[in-house]
Amino acid sequence: MILLISSKYDVSTNIVIQWLNYYGIVFLRLHTEEFSMLNYFSVSNKSISLTINDINLEAITGIWHRRGRLRNLPNSLNDLGKVTTYLKKEEDSLIKSIETSLRTTKKYIGSYISEIENYKLDHLIAAKECNLNIPDSIVTTSKKGLLDFHSKYDQIISKDLRYAINIKTDDISINSTGTFKVTDELISELDDHFAPIYAQEYIEKEFEIRIFFIEDNLFSMGIFSQQDEQTRVDYRNYNDEIPNRCVPINLPKNIKEQLLDFTRKVKLNTGSIDMIYSIDEHYVFLEVNPMGQFDWLSKNCNYYIEEAIAKEFMEL
Amino acid sequence: MKLDTPFKLYANCVTVKGFNRSTICDLQRNDVRTIPNDLYDILTNHEGKTINDIKNQYHNEFDDIIDEYFQFLYDNEFIFFTKQTSIFPPLSLKWSDPAIINNSIIDIDKNSSYDVLKVLKQLDDLHCRHLEIRNFDVARVDVLENIFDYLKENESSIQSVEILLPFFKDVEKWIDSAKHKFLRVSFIRVFNCPFNQNIMPSGNTKAYIMYTKQHYESELCCGKISQNFFAANMKAFTESVNHNSCLNKKLSIDKNGNIKNCPSMQKGFGSVNDTQLKDIVTDKDFTKVWSITKDQILVCKDCEFRHICTDCRAYKENPTDEFSKPLKCGYSPYTNEWEDWSINPLKKEAITYYKLQADTEKP
Ligand code: SF4
Ligand code: SF4
Repeated sequence: MILLISSKYDVSTNIVIQWLNYYGIVFLRLHTEEFSMLNYFSVSNKSISLTINDINLEAITGIWHRRGRLRNLPNSLNDLGKVTTYLKKEEDSLIKSIETSLRTTKKYIGSYISEIENYKLDHLIAAKECNLNIPDSIVTTSKKGLLDFHSKYDQIISKDLRYAINIKTDDISINSTGTFKVTDELISELDDHFAPIYAQEYIEKEFEIRIFFIEDNLFSMGIFSQQDEQTRVDYRNYNDEIPNRCVPINLPKNIKEQLLDFTRKVKLNTGSIDMIYSIDEHYVFLEVNPMGQFDWLSKNCNYYIEEAIAKEFMEL
Repeated sequence: MKLDTPFKLYANCVTVKGFNRSTICDLQRNDVRTIPNDLYDILTNHEGKTINDIKNQYHNEFDDIIDEYFQFLYDNEFIFFTKQTSIFPPLSLKWSDPAIINNSIIDIDKNSSYDVLKVLKQLDDLHCRHLEIRNFDVARVDVLENIFDYLKENESSIQSVEILLPFFKDVEKWIDSAKHKFLRVSFIRVFNCPFNQNIMPSGNTKAYIMYTKQHYESELCCGKISQNFFAANMKAFTESVNHNSCLNKKLSIDKNGNIKNCPSMQKGFGSVNDTQLKDIVTDKDFTKVWSITKDQILVCKDCEFRHICTDCRAYKENPTDEFSKPLKCGYSPYTNEWEDWSINPLKKEAITYYKLQADTEKP
């Protein structure tokens, strides 16, 4: 039996389930929105054992952890302010230990721990160590540092290191705009010292590449956004009317090998990698998202990724 | 436009060659354009070359036309220019579906007495996702309500249901009262209405309701081919390349409870009263029509629209030839014109054979 951990609204999970049914693979689905009753996670000298919702997970042979995590905190404890914050922290460590324990004995694709600890700098460094090209990047708290960096490149951009910003209080509301260009005017408005800013050289691209990977399978797609000003910096600022051209790509062998090297190095067995192909003809690694969407990639390239995921669990 | 950089067609813009002209089927943006066969040949034989190279190949005799062609391709974003031609493979035309049966037509008339729920249960086991229920002579409100209840109470594989039924007094009231059970009903068409009206989905029902003055006599109404039904999308196109674009993975029950590919087909595969659906879907005779593609069908195989078009195997120009062109298509790939098929003298014999009434059968 396979365990699926996913949001009940996730379209991709629903399609994967159709394929599991088609191939006769038995599964148990747990929703990340709902309370899952933990009967026990017991650890003793003799054995480790886990029972959730009255089901002993002994019988589970594989896990597909699409995104999010289980909820072991009853809903009634969700509104207790600082008490809830504390209980959530405890719950979080429990969830992580359960994942770690399951990983050692079972095929476990996807990871809550990786989803949380998705640090862009770590990944950039790992990519470089795998001989992938990366954009020159700095993190700085100094205006002078930022100005010096800017002077080296035609254009620079900035983005978050880990968390997309989304702050709402009574007085302010700040939302992430994703990646944005850092102009001289922007810098001139800054104080001499500020919170760490992550900046990167802007590389003019011929096209972007999105790669979904699961185990050793890479599914790559080229995204052509250049003809349209609106999507120039980041294609996720969707241009709804005419979708950017998205076509299958068969990456050169050495790039594929470097990417697989990278996934092993950062210990991810699934996720989505963003790259660009620059106008000066280099493949450049940008970032990896451990829980990336692949629905549109699967559709646009006719890849049947959902079927491939189901098949990963066939021989278990 | 870059004259000295190789060009590539975007892989989801697929060309289809016809007798006189071809099409570019834009499977990403759901669009279709006709192009001259000369351009089809250029795209097929010279993809990956530069425009200047291509002009040279034609000894610079057709530079103007070639410029015009490429301007059209570029303006519509069918092509791009890159030196990296080798990393862009053609689109895989694979079609696959996680269901043994993915759609079903169920006909119910005033005399139908077979057990519809028994059919639904079996369709669930076959992973069926789409259901079309048709009432022609009277609205079988009793049966429809049973179906609604079944879909509401069971975790069915069926995700969408379309219903066709004739107008009756208080039909609007009835629809209103049954609305809360419409869980997976996506479309209701009420025909023979004294008025035309479309009602968009609202609240927690996702059903689109259409009241129409149109008339649907019987299953004989089915099988019309029209540009309005063309679908330039990935699923439909790849299915058409590999399978029959109407009957693939379809299983239907006619008004008498007979299992058929579709209710209009002559051949039955037993009654639902004493035959299990799962035994029929492995019957080679039953699944034979699933694999008849437009590339094998007479006339259609010369048609530039063949992979975005629907098909019909129940009503054919030559009723005895399984590869004959759909009877109710008025298009000719040899003249590139649409005509009213129902008054075509060459089709008269087939029309009589199927007992179709030419005057109610407008295209
Ligand atoms: S084969 Fe013809 S009559 Fe039968 S469902 Fe298809 S279009 Fe309709
Ligand atoms: S000839 Fe008619 S039925 Fe055949 S593919 Fe063309 S439009 Fe469709």
